[in-house]
Amino acid sequence: MPARRGPPARRPRRAPSRGGRAEAAWREFAASFARAGMVPPAEAGLAAVEAAEGAAVLLLAPRQTLTFTGKCRLRCLYGAVRLLGFAVASHQPALPVFSPATHCALTLEALPADRPPAADLRQLRAAARAAMRAHSVRRQARVKVMARFSAECALVLLEHLDTPVTRFLLSHLPLSRLFEPQKKEEPSFTPEDAVLASVGIVKCSPDRGLLVSESMFLALEELIQACCAEDEGVPVVLVCGPKNTGKSTFNRYLINLLLNRLPSVEYMECDIGQTEFTPPGCVSLSNIAEPILGPPFTHQQTPRKMVYYGQTSCEQDTERYLDVVKYVFSSYKKEVPLVINTMGWVKGEGLLLLIDIVRLLSPSHIVQMDVYDWKAMAPLTPEYVHLTPGLYTKGKQQAKCKRMGTSGAENWKSSEGEGDALAPEYKLLYIHPEFPRAGVAGEARVHSGILRDMSILGYLGQLQSPDIGAVLPLHSLVPYQVPFSAVALRVIHTDVAPTNIMYAVNASWVGLCRIPDEIRCQTDGPVLLTQTPVCDCLGFGIVRGVEMEKKLYHVLTPVPPENLRLVNCLLLGNIAIPNCVLVGQQGVEGEIPYVTSDYNYSILGSGKLKKKKHFKRREYAFECDYT
Amino acid sequence: MAGGGAAARAQLALRRGRRCLSPARKRLKPLRTVVAWRGRAEWDQVMVGLYCGDSRLQQEALDRVSAWKSRYGPKMPLAVDCTAELIRCKVLDSSGRLKSHELILSYGLALVRFVNLITERKQKMVSIPLRQLAREVDIPIWVVDLRHELTHGKLPRLALCRKGCDVVLDWLRKTYWSRQLGNNLCEESEDEEEEQEGAEGNAELDNDTWEIRTPQHEACQKHKEFHEKVRDVLISYKNEQFRVMQTVQSVSKSRELWSDSSSEVDWILAQIKDLMQENRETVAEALLSDGFLIPKMDCLKMLNIKYEANKEVWQFRIPQTFYCFWQPLLTGLLSRSFTQILIEKMFMELKECSDSSELRPQFLINWISEMLTGIAKINAGKKRQHCNKQVSVKELFLHKVPLQWIRLTDNCLEAPCWATPHLLQLILTIMRPRLPRSSRKNLLYLASVYTEGGGPLSSPGLSSDCSEQPIYTIESLQWRARQENQVKNQGQTVEKQEDVLERDDGVEEVEEEEEEMVTETNPLEGLAHSGNMVAIAEKRAALQGSAWQITADEVRWKDFPLGKLPGQTDDPDGLMLDNYSMMSLLDQPVGDEWKSPNTK
Repeated sequence: MPARRGPPARRPRRAPSRGGRAEAAWREFAASFARAGMVPPAEAGLAAVEAAEGAAVLLLAPRQTLTFTGKCRLRCLYGAVRLLGFAVASHQPALPVFSPATHCALTLEALPADRPPAADLRQLRAAARAAMRAHSVRRQARVKVMARFSAECALVLLEHLDTPVTRFLLSHLPLSRLFEPQKKEEPSFTPEDAVLASVGIVKCSPDRGLLVSESMFLALEELIQACCAEDEGVPVVLVCGPKNTGKSTFNRYLINLLLNRLPSVEYMECDIGQTEFTPPGCVSLSNIAEPILGPPFTHQQTPRKMVYYGQTSCEQDTERYLDVVKYVFSSYKKEVPLVINTMGWVKGEGLLLLIDIVRLLSPSHIVQMDVYDWKAMAPLTPEYVHLTPGLYTKGKQQAKCKRMGTSGAENWKSSEGEGDALAPEYKLLYIHPEFPRAGVAGEARVHSGILRDMSILGYLGQLQSPDIGAVLPLHSLVPYQVPFSAVALRVIHTDVAPTNIMYAVNASWVGLCRIPDEIRCQTDGPVLLTQTPVCDCLGFGIVRGVEMEKKLYHVLTPVPPENLRLVNCLLLGNIAIPNCVLVGQQGVEGEIPYVTSDYNYSILGSGKLKKKKHFKRREYAFECDYT
Repeated sequence: MAGGGAAARAQLALRRGRRCLSPARKRLKPLRTVVAWRGRAEWDQVMVGLYCGDSRLQQEALDRVSAWKSRYGPKMPLAVDCTAELIRCKVLDSSGRLKSHELILSYGLALVRFVNLITERKQKMVSIPLRQLAREVDIPIWVVDLRHELTHGKLPRLALCRKGCDVVLDWLRKTYWSRQLGNNLCEESEDEEEEQEGAEGNAELDNDTWEIRTPQHEACQKHKEFHEKVRDVLISYKNEQFRVMQTVQSVSKSRELWSDSSSEVDWILAQIKDLMQENRETVAEALLSDGFLIPKMDCLKMLNIKYEANKEVWQFRIPQTFYCFWQPLLTGLLSRSFTQILIEKMFMELKECSDSSELRPQFLINWISEMLTGIAKINAGKKRQHCNKQVSVKELFLHKVPLQWIRLTDNCLEAPCWATPHLLQLILTIMRPRLPRSSRKNLLYLASVYTEGGGPLSSPGLSSDCSEQPIYTIESLQWRARQENQVKNQGQTVEKQEDVLERDDGVEEVEEEEEEMVTETNPLEGLAHSGNMVAIAEKRAALQGSAWQITADEVRWKDFPLGKLPGQTDDPDGLMLDNYSMMSLLDQPVGDEWKSPNTK
C-alpha cells in the first residue's frame, strides 16, 4: 500500500488507516445520528448539508479528505482546502472541478488556514455564517453546519456544475456515463451520500486518488524550491518516462502546486499522443494561470504557440517532429518556469529521440518516472546523455554527427563546441510511481484513442453556445466558408491523389494554420502544398462540406473570427473526427455519409494492420465503436 | 455442384469456417461504424474499378483508395490496402514502363505483404506455421511458397509473380470485397449493374457472370438444367429436414432441431449459394415452384399442419412448423438483392395464380407478409422477439435489408388481390424514404376500394371499379407512387401542387396532417436561431474583408449531416477535382533534399 502524502510544505505523514472495527463503529455512530435526524457524519468531522437546490455545504475537519468522482463547482467559504495540490481559500472565486471515472480521482483536503492569531472564535463563526449567507445557504443548513463548526475546520460550497462543454460530451452515447461512478463502492448509502450526489459527486475510496510516493514528494519539494527561488534562473523541467507511469497527473499536480506561489507557469506539450490543453497531434506552448482540476477535455485552451504535427506518434517522421519541437520551444521567453511533457515512447529510437530533445531544450531539471527495475529506460543522468548519441545528435565520443546533413537540426548544437562538448547541466529527479498497475503497458484505465476522442470533443464543446441549456448537434450549426483559392491545403500523413483530395478533406478534422507565404494560385481551384509546413496552428475545425461548384470549404470551428481571418492553410493529419460524432447525428435526411451498419468486421482483412504485440487485454471502461 | 473438385470443396470448407463465427455475430446488433467511403455507391465504384481490368479505371480507383487511406489513417482495412498494392503492380505492369526485374520486385513486395499481413491477423500467442494459417483461410499453398522464395530464395519469374498476383486478387475479391457491406454472398457483380446503370467499367465484369451471350435455345437448355440442379439441392434440403424430424417424435422438438443448423444443412446451403452465384433468378423461381415454399398437401400432412380453406385464419402468417422448416435455408439466402428478387417473384406469381389451387396464393401472400414483417423489424432495429411462448422462432433476416421499395410497390399493385391493402400497408410502412403521409393514406384507401368486394383474387377488371373512382385505375396508382416519390425528392414546392390537386378529391383533413408532419421541427431550432443571430452578426463583422465568411444562405443545416451539403447528390464522382494548383514553400526548415519527393 503506497503512502499518501500531504502537502509538500510539511513532513509527509501516512494517512490514518482505521481498522475495520473502528470503521464499523463510525458507521454505527453515523447511523445513530441519522436516526436522531441530525447531521449524519460519514467520518469524523466530515459533514455535508444540502444548502439549496443542487448545492451543498461541506464541513471538513483539519486535514480531513474527501476523494470523489463526478463534477461540481467548488467555492471555499471558510478556512482553506487543497485540490490536487492547489490551495483554495475563501477569497477565491468558484472553481469548476472535474473528476471523471476515467482518470485519477480528485481529493479534497482541508488545510489549516492562516488566520490572524488573535482571532476570536465568535468572529470566526460570524465570518463563516456571513459567507454562507452571502451564497444563499438555507438557514436550516447554516444552523446544522454551525453546530459542528470549529475554528480550524474548512467550509466548502459545492454546486451542481453543468457547462456547455460537459453537456456536449455527455450527449455522446459512449461518454454519457463519464461522470457517474463506475460501480457502487460503498455498500451503504448514507443521507450524506445523497447530499453529495445531488451536487453531482460521489465519494470513493482514497486510493482512487493521487498516490504520492516518497520519491515524488521529494522531487516536488525540490522543484518548488527551485521555481520559487529568486536568485537562480527560471527552471525548465522536463518530465519523461514510459507510458502509464503518471506523467500527466504529476504535471497537473506540479503545476497546481506552483500556481499556489506563482501567477503563471508555462507548459510545453511534446506528447503528441496525449495532449493536455489542445486536441491531439500538436506540439504546443501554453501559459497556465488557472489550476488544472480535471482531465484534458475539461480545460482545452488556446495555446501561445501551437504546431499541428498531424499524427499521434512521431515514429514515421522524427525529423519533422524535432523541427516542430524546436519551432515551438523558440517562443518560450524564459520568464516563468516551464514544464515540458514528453512522449511515453522511450524504447529504441524513442529513447534516442528523447536524448535529442534533452540536448535541444537543455532543461534545468529532468523528472524521470519509472517503475523500480529500470527495464524500460536507462537513468538519464547528465553523464549518460552526454555520452550517448541521440537519433540526430552525437554523443561526446563521436566525431561528427553523421545523420544530420540538414539545415534543420544543425543550429541547435551551437552551444556545444566541436570535440569537447560540455556535459549538460541538469538535476535528475527520479520518481517511482507506486499506484497499482503503474507502468504496465496496456493497463491504462481508458484506451488512449478514447482519451484523444474526448479531448477533441472537449474542444468541439466550445462551439456550444453558453446560454442554451440544450446541446446543439454539430451538423446543425452555421459553418464558416472560405474559397478554395484562399487557403492552401496539405495532407500530412499520406499521399493523396490531387484529383481525389476533396474525398480526404470532406467531413474531416483539419488544423487551421497560418503560413507566412502568400497563397499563390493560377486557377480558382484548390492550392495544394508540395511539402508539410512547420507553421503556427491557430485551432481546429471540421470540414463540414466541400462545395465543388462555388469552390468553397465549409468549416465548423470554435476559433474566434479575429484569429480565423489569419488562417490560410488547412492541414489534414491522421487524427479523425471521433466516430461517435459522425454516428450519432440525429434527424438528418437520408443516409449519413461515411456511416454504415453493413460493414462486417468479422470478414478476414476487414480490420486494420495490427502491430505484432502480445499484450494483455485491456479493460475498456468506455467502449467506443472501435473495432 | 458444378465443379465438385478440390477447389470447390476447399471453398466450402472455408465457408464453414466462417459460419462458425456467425453465432457470435448474430447476437450483436449491427454496429454503426465509420468508413472511408461516403456511401455504398462510392464503395461499389471503387470495387468495380479495381477489378475491371482497364488500367485507366483501375488508376482512378487507386486514386480514390489513396483518399480512403487518408481518412482511415492507421485503421485502413488490410484487404483494401493489399488489393490496392497488387492492383498498383498490375497497372504498372500494363503501362510498360518497368522492366521485368523491377516488376518482379514490385509484385514480390505486394505479395509478401499480402501473405504476411493477412495471416498475421490469424496468428495466436503461440505462433502457427504460415502454411497452416494459409490453409485455414484458403490461400493456395503455392502462393505461400512464392512468398518464401521471394524473401529467402531466388527471385521467381515474372510470369509466376503475375499469376500469384491474379490468384491473390481473386482471393481478395471472393473473401473480402464480395462479402463485405451486407453482401454475404459472392454475387455483387450482377447486382451492381442493376443498381447503377451506366457506370463505366461494368462491362468487363460480364465475362464472369452467367449471362454469356449464347444462342437462345442453348441458353434455354442451360436454364432448364440449372433449374433442375437447384431443385435437386432443394429436395435434398427437404429430405434432410424430414430426416431430422423423424429422429424425434414431436413436431415442436423438430422445430428446435431445425433451428440449430447442422453441418448437413450448412453444406446444402453452401451448395445453393454457389448456384445463386450463377443465377439468383432461377433459384428464386425454383423456390417458388410447387413443393418447396409453396407446399403440396402431402407435405402439409407430413408436417401435421391442418389446412384451413378460410383465407383469414392464418392471419398473414406462415404456419409455424412450416416456417421453422424453411427458416434456416431462407435466413442463409436472404441477402439484400436476393430478398428483392424473391419478393418480386412472389408478387409476379401471385399475379399469375389467380385461378390455380388455393394453397399457392395463400402461401405467397403469407410468405410476403412474413418477410416484410421481418424486414420491418430488423430495419427498425428492434430486437428479435419471441413470437411464441413455447418455441422461440428465429427471424429470417439478420441484417438490415434496404430494398427498392418503389419497385415493390409497383409489383404489389400489379398483383391485386384481397390481401393487397395489407401488403401495401406493410410496404409503405417499411419504405424509406417514406412517401408523404397523405399519399400513403390515399394509396391504401384506393387499394382497398379497388380490391373490396371482389373475390379472393378478382382479376384486375378495370371497368367495374372505374365507375366509383374514375380517375384511379391500377395504372394511375402506380403512376402516383412514382410521382409521389419524385415529389418527395424535389421538395416541398411540388408537394404543394399535389396537395392542390388533392383538394379536388376532398381529402383536406389528410392534407392538414401532412403539413404538420413537414413543419415538425426541433423545438431547439428556433432558440438556436434567435440566440445565435447576434453572435453570428458579430462574427460576420469581425470577418469583414477576410476570405473567411459566414455562410449567408438560408440553409437548414440540421437537415444535412456532416460531409453533405444542400443540393449535393450521392454521385460518387461528385468531389472530383478537375483543376488545382501546386504550391511549394521556400522558407521551410524542412528541406526538399532529404524529404521524400512526394511531388514532381
